[in-house]
Amino acid sequence: MNAMLESLREHWRDQAAALPGDTARRERALEAFLAEGLPTTAEEDWKYTSLAHLEQARLTLPGPVTLARAMAAVERHGVPDLEGPRLVFVNGQLIPPACRLEGRVPGLTIESLAQVLGEHDADEALDRVVDLDRYRLARLNTALFQDGARVRATKGVITDAPIYLLFLTLGDAEAMQLVQPRVLIETAEGASVTVIEHHCGEGEAAVINAVTEIVAQPGSRVTHYRIQEHADTHAQVASLNARLDRDAALVCHNIDLGGAVVRNDVHVRLIAPGADVELNGLYFTRGTSHVDNHTRVDHLAPHTSSREDYRGVLAGRSRAVFNGKVLVAEDAQKIEAHQSNNNLLLSHECEIDTKPELEIYADDVKCSHGATVGQLDATALFYLRSRGLDEDTARGLLTFAFAEEVIARLGIAPLAERLSSTVIGHLPDSDRLRAFT
Amino acid sequence: MLKIKDLHARIDGKDILKGLSLEISAGEVHAIMGPNGAGKSTLAQVLAGREGYEIVSGSVEFCGRDLLALAPEERAREGVFLAFQYPVEIPGVNNVYLLKAALNAIRKHRGEDELDAYAFMKIIREKMQLMQMDASFLNRGVNEGFSGGEKKRNEILQMAVLEPKLALLDETDSGLDIDAMKVVADGVNSLRSPERAIIMVTHYQRLLDHIVPDVVHVLADGRIVKSGDRSLALELEAHGYEWLQQAVGT
Repeated sequence: MNAMLESLREHWRDQAAALPGDTARRERALEAFLAEGLPTTAEEDWKYTSLAHLEQARLTLPGPVTLARAMAAVERHGVPDLEGPRLVFVNGQLIPPACRLEGRVPGLTIESLAQVLGEHDADEALDRVVDLDRYRLARLNTALFQDGARVRATKGVITDAPIYLLFLTLGDAEAMQLVQPRVLIETAEGASVTVIEHHCGEGEAAVINAVTEIVAQPGSRVTHYRIQEHADTHAQVASLNARLDRDAALVCHNIDLGGAVVRNDVHVRLIAPGADVELNGLYFTRGTSHVDNHTRVDHLAPHTSSREDYRGVLAGRSRAVFNGKVLVAEDAQKIEAHQSNNNLLLSHECEIDTKPELEIYADDVKCSHGATVGQLDATALFYLRSRGLDEDTARGLLTFAFAEEVIARLGIAPLAERLSSTVIGHLPDSDRLRAFT
Repeated sequence: MLKIKDLHARIDGKDILKGLSLEISAGEVHAIMGPNGAGKSTLAQVLAGREGYEIVSGSVEFCGRDLLALAPEERAREGVFLAFQYPVEIPGVNNVYLLKAALNAIRKHRGEDELDAYAFMKIIREKMQLMQMDASFLNRGVNEGFSGGEKKRNEILQMAVLEPKLALLDETDSGLDIDAMKVVADGVNSLRSPERAIIMVTHYQRLLDHIVPDVVHVLADGRIVKSGDRSLALELEAHGYEWLQQAVGT
């Protein structure tokens, strides 16, 4: 057993009693995870993304952070102008003074998991959607997560204000922390919620392992944002797992602007006719960062639909991976699935591996996919220069415009503005580019 | 203002311009007509500085400077403007910001102060009225979702704002219905001035009914094969380009 797995076992021995919820479930998950270990590049799904550097890392479950330190970090990283409820977690622990839950909508429940596990049916709500055999790191989350959020909307409840969940990781020089956000979203018939998961952080190396589960009952709607702005010392693995019933709709925005090694899995199951999912993604990799997005949409019923558009901007010596799989089950006729992945390479040293995958067992389907890897459009570049803009500004502007098309789809203005600003900040000549937005 | 001498240019190893010579003075409007593939658009692109064309020989002098030695943005700042045949859509970049950046880049080059937002908007409103454009257009992405006519109007709006010394209009009439053509032509006509030269590249003579040129050139197989006044365009219209090719023996 390697150092990482040993450290996890020790933490289990010392701290299991203090973790909320069903200990037996946690223990089963831990034993299964320890037996399998971390995924390796020998596995097809992990071919391009190595977690080998973590094998010798002794991980620590974070202890409490002082309130002053937590609040200062929230001030630095949080999106300030968002209306609506919010839960804030720093190093996996709830920071009540930073939360806002007043003015709640009847029928909408937003809870800290640590507070509700062990009560009612909360434990039963875990691991309902996630395919633990496929997403093995989710087992580690189930075994050792410290806190998270549960969002529930009862029948017909429609909320406008987004629910903001801020997960901050403050890396520590003394020990590599394992921070494990957990989110459950459940919408009953006809309900509608919008949830922003904002994952960000600073400081020394840390590992973030997040799991989100979404259960959408018939006719309900979930709009989900996963905004990742980790420090360039942080490794992050996340899986978003959703099950959509008849006429349910899910829109996912996945934005990756940070992190050293990042792996995101999205797995959506469309289990009844009329279910519809839209996946929007943007990754901007710089330096030596590595961002891997694997998405999987299972069309398990006829008349289901999916649309996916992921865009990447790669700079420096960074690397990105996109693997988008669409599965159409045998009796899932009349489905529609469209997918595209476009990448802009800003240097000669960056690398993208993009792979769309279709697995179709039905015969009456409409599917399309496409991937591009390229440089900026020469005609557009000439157009801007012919208007007097110098070449660097024109390049920066077109790069920004490429990313902005994804950001423009975010329906929440303060969030979109903040991300636009971050993207510009990552581009050369950013001061000049700001004048254009 | 502009002196093109024996210009030879090629792209991807293919000769397009084969000894083109042309002189234009300030205040003049020249039309360059010719069949498809004659090199009309290449000439406009080469003058504006599009990369990818290889200048084999010849020279282009603009206001006493070697135009071919300048980058596209330097040409723009010196006063060359190309109205594109196919204006590019750039979602995510706002029309109004592009106009402002373009104008300020040119003003800065001339040693003038950059305009503040108020002064800039005053100019824009005036020019938009001229081009009969709606204010909502300003906050849209550059040419994003514009109809063919709107794109061409936007090109002339940019020209009106930037006030170039030399304007190159590349097939500005293509894709325009008669009403849109009138708006575009009125815009161009209002920009005729003793200090400004205009070159219109066009396949059809109908644009010349609305913007009457001082000189008409016929470009065929990479060279100017005939020059004349307005009546040359009408003759071409009546007899077609084949007549001309026989007449000049190409």
